[in-house]
Amino acid sequence: MSDLAASRGANWTLRIFFVLLVAFLYLPLLVLLVFSFNNGDVTFPLQGFTTSWYAKAATNPALLQSLERSAFVAIASSLITVVLGVLASYALVRRSFWGKPAFAALVFSPLVIPYLVFGISLLVLFTAFDRFLTITMGTYIGLGLHAVVIGHVVVALPYTILTVTPLLERLSISLEEAGHDLGASSWQTFWRVTFPLLYPALLSAFLIALTLSFDEYAIASFLAGSSPTWPVFLFAQLRVPSQLPELVAVSSVILLSSVLLVVIAEIGRRRSERKYAIGPG
Amino acid sequence: MASEETGSRRATAGLLSGPLVWLLVFFIVPVAFIALYSVGGIHIFPTDPREISFEAWHRFLLGHSVYMSLFWKSIRVSLTVSIVVVLLSYPIGYFLALCVKKRKYVLLLVIIAPFLTSYLLRVLAWKVILGDKGVINTALFELHLRSPDHPVSWLIYSQFAVMLVLAYVWIPFVALPIFVGLDGMDMSLLEAAGDLGASRFRTFLRVTLPLSAPGVAAAFIFVFVPTIGEFVTPQLVGGTRGFLFGNAVQDQFTRALDWQSGSVLAFFLLLVVGILMALFGRFSRVRTVRT
Repeated sequence: MSDLAASRGANWTLRIFFVLLVAFLYLPLLVLLVFSFNNGDVTFPLQGFTTSWYAKAATNPALLQSLERSAFVAIASSLITVVLGVLASYALVRRSFWGKPAFAALVFSPLVIPYLVFGISLLVLFTAFDRFLTITMGTYIGLGLHAVVIGHVVVALPYTILTVTPLLERLSISLEEAGHDLGASSWQTFWRVTFPLLYPALLSAFLIALTLSFDEYAIASFLAGSSPTWPVFLFAQLRVPSQLPELVAVSSVILLSSVLLVVIAEIGRRRSERKYAIGPG
Repeated sequence: MASEETGSRRATAGLLSGPLVWLLVFFIVPVAFIALYSVGGIHIFPTDPREISFEAWHRFLLGHSVYMSLFWKSIRVSLTVSIVVVLLSYPIGYFLALCVKKRKYVLLLVIIAPFLTSYLLRVLAWKVILGDKGVINTALFELHLRSPDHPVSWLIYSQFAVMLVLAYVWIPFVALPIFVGLDGMDMSLLEAAGDLGASRFRTFLRVTLPLSAPGVAAAFIFVFVPTIGEFVTPQLVGGTRGFLFGNAVQDQFTRALDWQSGSVLAFFLLLVVGILMALFGRFSRVRTVRT
């Protein structure tokens, strides 16, 4: 079939182009990885092998704290996102209601807002709300991780819905109807029938939201206040050249873990598809 | 029957309420807030103007402000990056969707994976590569093509650096919609075109390309939206020459602390993106209908 889309020569050209592009994408990351083991700063020539940057990073309290914060924000926001995402997906796929196109437009609109503008909008909202609290009750909440969580839920939500709805669409409604006919309530049907079938998609949605949040800088930079998340901390430290190798070391660890996460997510997605393929159509 | 219907309606309301409230309170309201703020509709700080006025808008739009020229610069940079990225990603999507038979999803994952690593990290990598003592310059010194006192300085802290890094960052993400658009294509269409005597190139121009137009439009949007509001990459590799509109917006909120002018700039950006989105949505729909 492949000769339909491209001649032999074109096929080879495309293949070479693919390899070149992969090299272009991965070489810079490889350079970073090399420098994380370099016994010197991040300039050539290389000074010899060391793992001291990793050891140093592991004992840097400010760095570890920022990682902890990011982990908290990522997990909290992903959990909320998945819950809200499942509710919205279920409504979009299984229910008909007034204003459905508008609702669909609303849930997907965070895909097309520049994060800069969204971060600023939330900053203005929280500041205005704090101002209101100060005037009326003499207290305020302030910025911080809760604000970052709130923002990340909004931007991750469309991705969750994009992950869950295709599976839900293909998931036979007769399974749910069977649950109903056998006397299960909607709630029971969801937990006993739909959820187990959706679970792999939920896992990949969760992991997508997790990686998105863990890495998100623009929104967090406006909302984190005095508790910088990892990307905010990283950005601030990039101006200090002596810190660079240490940051590169941590980043390499994160890079490898996120690749691992992606692979897990992909396996989960595949398994869910296979599961569906076996099930009744 | 009637009670079942109200029950189901209540269940739908239950499903909708969570996402709806969250998005209204934390997405629509905040955006409405900056719109209001930009015309003095709300005041947060004592220095904020007390009455509604379009003065800040007027100053920005018609006052020959530096912000307007920065905006056009950002548009130029974003357009260039988006076009380059789409042009580079299209062959990849085409190759994976139509030419590769085995393991195409694995290969697709190879392309996408870098996107899921840290954004800052990928920008940082280029800082290491392009810097005055970076990979490229060191290589040039070693090959005696340049003396260490005169590194190629336009590699970093330039508009070139910003565009290169932005393209690098977005290629993996953009290959995806192009791939998806082509992957679902009916191969018998290509066969039919061939049977009717069209060359492969003609088939590509008349069949494949029009069919993939919605995917390309989506891809274009996927790069354009984030890059038009970009402020991180210019700060890291752009220097003063790479300063973009996004940096000006951020400056208003973090350094200049003129939130009203900042709201004008931010909301203006949102309007532009919204209008472009509407136009693009229309364009891609028209193409789908025609084919």
